[in-house]
Amino acid sequence: MDSRTPLFTAKDIVKSFSGTQALKGVHLEVYPGEIVGLVGENGAGKSTLLKIIIGAEQPTSGKMTMHGREYAPRNPMDANKEGIGMVFQEQSLIVNLNVAQNIFFGHEKDFRRHGFVNWKRMNREAQDALDDVEVVGIPPRKKVFDLNFATRQMVEIAKVIRVTKGSDSEHCLILLDEPTSVLNEGEVLNLFAQMRKLTAKGHSVVFVSHRLDEVLDICDRIYVYKDGESVGTVDAKQASEKLLYEMMVGRSTTSEYYRLEKQKKPAKEVVLEVEDLGVHGVFKGVNFALHRGEILGLCGVVGSGKEEICSVLCGDINQTRGAIKLRGKEVRFRSPEHALRSGILMIPKERHYEGIVAMLSVENNTALSNLRKLSKLGYIPMKKVAKQADQWIGRLRIKTSGRKALLMSLSGGNQQKVVFSRALASKSDVLILNHPTRGVDVGAREEIYDIIRDLVADGKSVILLGDTLDECIGMSTRVIVLKDGLMTGEFEAGVENKPSQVDVVSLMM
Amino acid sequence: MANPSRLAADRSIMEEFAERVRRSNRNERIMKVAPVGVLIALMLVFTLLCGGNFASLKNLSSLMKQFAIPMVVALGLTFVIMLGSIDLSINGTVGMAGSLMGVFVMNNMFPQMNMGVGAVALAVLASAVVGLLVGLVHVYLRIPSFMSSFAFMYICQGIAKLSYQGKPPTIHDPLFVALSKTDFLLIPFITWMAMLMFVICFLIQEYTAFGRHIYAVGTNEAIPKAVGVNVNRVKIKVFTLAGILFGVAGVLGAIRLGQGQVGIGEDRMFPAQAAVVVGGTSLSGGKGGVVNTLVGVLIMTVLQNGLILLSVNPYVRSGIEGLIILVAVILTVPHGKQVVSK
Amino acid sequence: MSEKRLFGSLFKRDHIVRYISFSTIIILVTAFQSMQGNFLGKSNLTNLLRDTAPLMIMAVGMTSVLILGSIDLSAGAICSIANVVFVKILNDYAGAPNAGQMILLAFALAIALGLLAGFLMGIVHVKLKVPSFIASLGFMSVWQSVAYLISNRPVSVPKAMWVAVDWFKISWGVFGLPLIIAAAIAVILYMLQTRMAFGRALFAIGGNERAARIAGIGVDRTKILTFTVNGACAALGGLFLAAKARSGSPTVGADFTVLIVASCALGGTALSGGKGSTLGTILGVFTVSLIRNGMNFIGVSAYWQDVVFGLFLLGAIALSVDRSKRGLAVK
Repeated sequence: MDSRTPLFTAKDIVKSFSGTQALKGVHLEVYPGEIVGLVGENGAGKSTLLKIIIGAEQPTSGKMTMHGREYAPRNPMDANKEGIGMVFQEQSLIVNLNVAQNIFFGHEKDFRRHGFVNWKRMNREAQDALDDVEVVGIPPRKKVFDLNFATRQMVEIAKVIRVTKGSDSEHCLILLDEPTSVLNEGEVLNLFAQMRKLTAKGHSVVFVSHRLDEVLDICDRIYVYKDGESVGTVDAKQASEKLLYEMMVGRSTTSEYYRLEKQKKPAKEVVLEVEDLGVHGVFKGVNFALHRGEILGLCGVVGSGKEEICSVLCGDINQTRGAIKLRGKEVRFRSPEHALRSGILMIPKERHYEGIVAMLSVENNTALSNLRKLSKLGYIPMKKVAKQADQWIGRLRIKTSGRKALLMSLSGGNQQKVVFSRALASKSDVLILNHPTRGVDVGAREEIYDIIRDLVADGKSVILLGDTLDECIGMSTRVIVLKDGLMTGEFEAGVENKPSQVDVVSLMM
Repeated sequence: MANPSRLAADRSIMEEFAERVRRSNRNERIMKVAPVGVLIALMLVFTLLCGGNFASLKNLSSLMKQFAIPMVVALGLTFVIMLGSIDLSINGTVGMAGSLMGVFVMNNMFPQMNMGVGAVALAVLASAVVGLLVGLVHVYLRIPSFMSSFAFMYICQGIAKLSYQGKPPTIHDPLFVALSKTDFLLIPFITWMAMLMFVICFLIQEYTAFGRHIYAVGTNEAIPKAVGVNVNRVKIKVFTLAGILFGVAGVLGAIRLGQGQVGIGEDRMFPAQAAVVVGGTSLSGGKGGVVNTLVGVLIMTVLQNGLILLSVNPYVRSGIEGLIILVAVILTVPHGKQVVSK
Repeated sequence: MSEKRLFGSLFKRDHIVRYISFSTIIILVTAFQSMQGNFLGKSNLTNLLRDTAPLMIMAVGMTSVLILGSIDLSAGAICSIANVVFVKILNDYAGAPNAGQMILLAFALAIALGLLAGFLMGIVHVKLKVPSFIASLGFMSVWQSVAYLISNRPVSVPKAMWVAVDWFKISWGVFGLPLIIAAAIAVILYMLQTRMAFGRALFAIGGNERAARIAGIGVDRTKILTFTVNGACAALGGLFLAAKARSGSPTVGADFTVLIVASCALGGTALSGGKGSTLGTILGVFTVSLIRNGMNFIGVSAYWQDVVFGLFLLGAIALSVDRSKRGLAVK
């Protein structure tokens, strides 16, 4: 299947966002007729690289070639023209249009006759496209709405092949980003069969997945990325899950970084208990207890359910099954406000969309979770708000021109500190920290670790979703691992016996 | 491979997810057929209650006349709603088109005017321009569509009133006077025009790339954008098309009334709004279409007709329209908690 | 870097609308005064100031709704209902022995209806997730029908009951009682918005509803309360209009909707939410009233008024929209 000239290469790809480097100079090489796997932890850079290859993002530096020629797409359409197509993780079909219309969406003018689209011809060509990928039983006139996810995925693959076939290239490169997350076992086997048919014709596939068993099954070679760097390539036949885990995990950072000297054993008192918690179609059977003074880390890849568990605990969505017990009493939160009043608050992941109110000042943002406590019969004394804001600006060393500065004028790290102040000012007993150091520079990160250690020493409890696996293990006193909506493991993470990253990762993927 | 018991539990989460999707799909399918059911039920009810008054040829002819102008208005509104936007300028635009038509055609108030068919073109052009402006303001100034169209309603109403300065012109042009009384094959002229508009809109919706793009933009702007579709252009074209249709509705209104005046636009928005929503075109966009609206307009026309025959208080009738809008929207709004509606 | 620049331009634009409104007032007043000498004379001025009272009450109520990022197009219809209900009760009980009590009842009932209408609007929008513009559109139609059913043509307040409306004429110098009441309400609402927890919640929701919700703010409660208060303000406006004209009409409030929104917009309230103040709305109300009264005063054809208001509205909207709200799709 291999020939000696690669179909596609990427060399020294660097991608920096303001402050952080998502990719630090990665490589990728794909030969015709090959299925190449790409694995790594969250944040290893896999999705970023795919986006660069498909032209949805521009690399900061680095070179790519396709068919031996220089390749630098400005947008996904350029990529399509060169023979590269991608099936995104979020379905990109338009459900109220039919199969044919989706396959050729954006290219209708190729079928135009006197201003009107010739559906007959489009349907015929859609049938051809479906035949090309040897998918049977899908009439081109059927609305996507009526298809199940596995079939939709086939349509997306057919679409990608078709569109890239319109290019001058003989062979295409198909990028699949976590395609099996919505498929059942049978459908996965089906997908693999399709992929093999594609490669038999000389096309190549890049297969990104967190399910290492599948990756080892279908891929010829596997690239492992870690922290924005390519760690290495292995031949799938000679690799094992264990080997992959070891390649994937990073160096453990020094204990001072995570302030391990401040880590204390949690008390015996159970603050929060979760029994058989489940949300229909997302996660189920989750059980754990949170003790006072504990930092409980939830580890898992995107889609493992850890985010949704946090949403349920903070009152944003309701569980469909199971119970939450706060200090022994069962509760069912009607809203985040209800949860806050019961003493649970979340610091959300996407600061810009759900964390800060950019057009309000620092002092107003700081007071948001504390209105009840600050007010006397509804009246809020400005002096209290000001004093509180100044206090936190000092304690957390927030860099700002003053408490009246609008939040949009602060840097990301300082905005995060304001969100922290707000959470701390609320004096909630349980804080759910959802990627608390995301987009925050190194110096501020260490300060945030200090803050977390201090507040736990104060008697509060924390549920932590770490930005990296290392952070999660380093900061937590106990770690729970999730995969595909189920709890797969639990580790004690005391100062002396932190689990290794390999141990944890092997349960995540 | 992997632990079999793990896989078993795995599967059930997947199945739950698939089941959830299947259930929502099933609801969608029911919602699609529901309007036709409602229409049939209404016709049966009124036949029972009003007997010969409702199910007579005379009433049928009256129904056809009543159906025409709301149909054209609702067609224009349908495309806007498929985008996920809304157009509140209807009353103004329709009134303006009707007034301009009256003023520029041969009439009693402005004897020097005799533009004939040219007046029609002018009226429709003016409405098209208004639609274009609404779209431009919405897209490039990033003002929500309800706001930008709201402002234009008043501007258009004002232009309408200004055009005839308090003296509504009665149409004397023999062509239009005749058309207002003519039936071809027992069907009034304006109804023919309404059906012609329907056919044109259907062709646009189903047989042009533009029509497909409207669905895409209404579903999720990011997808067509990623494929290179000019989303802004689609939106502006939709509002312009709506403007054209409102203009046609105004012209038809002037012909029917025999006069040009701003009142032609009065009470046009609620019935159109109700018709579109009742017909099954969802406010969130990406769903529905002109066939749905056809059913919706039929429902509203039959309903109004029946209520008149039952001698229901006219003030109550318009209140019922508002109630229908509320109920229909409540039933079709997505109920996910993540929806932030303003 | 770019954040600071954006921040700077926003700050300037924040007040630019108010500067424009203020200048407009000065220009118009000077212009009208020079055209017709007694524009600033005592009687005309008193009338002018008194006339702004109903609009002011309704506009300050709407300000909170706009800060949330919503709108209530049914305000005019609520005003009409309160108006006709009030006059109807006065008519029904004119000359009755318990007339005094019935007058109080009329006031109370009118306001209660406004509260109820606002509350329903809040429930439908918040609990049933219907976008506010369509919900208020539906309600507008329903309330208008109800108003017609109560009274399908203008009805005067009988002389026997004039005691119920005579308070409208009380004044100290040029400042009439109605204006003082309206201004007092504006100030109370201003206090609510700036000093009370309710106000913090209001601006947070308007600025970023999702963030406010996660932060633990009672979003649903705040929204419903806002719409309820707005309903009461609309009803009060209807009462004022009844007192002013000494009669009630089912369409009295219909023309006010655009004026209310224009007043808020011209007072610097961003129609996308998160920004605004009832004090600014007072300014906007004066601008709008001046334009309207002034146009009548110098005899500008009424037909131009719609166009002028539409254009003003468009301009104010364009200037006060907060374009720094990136990433949120505008529909």
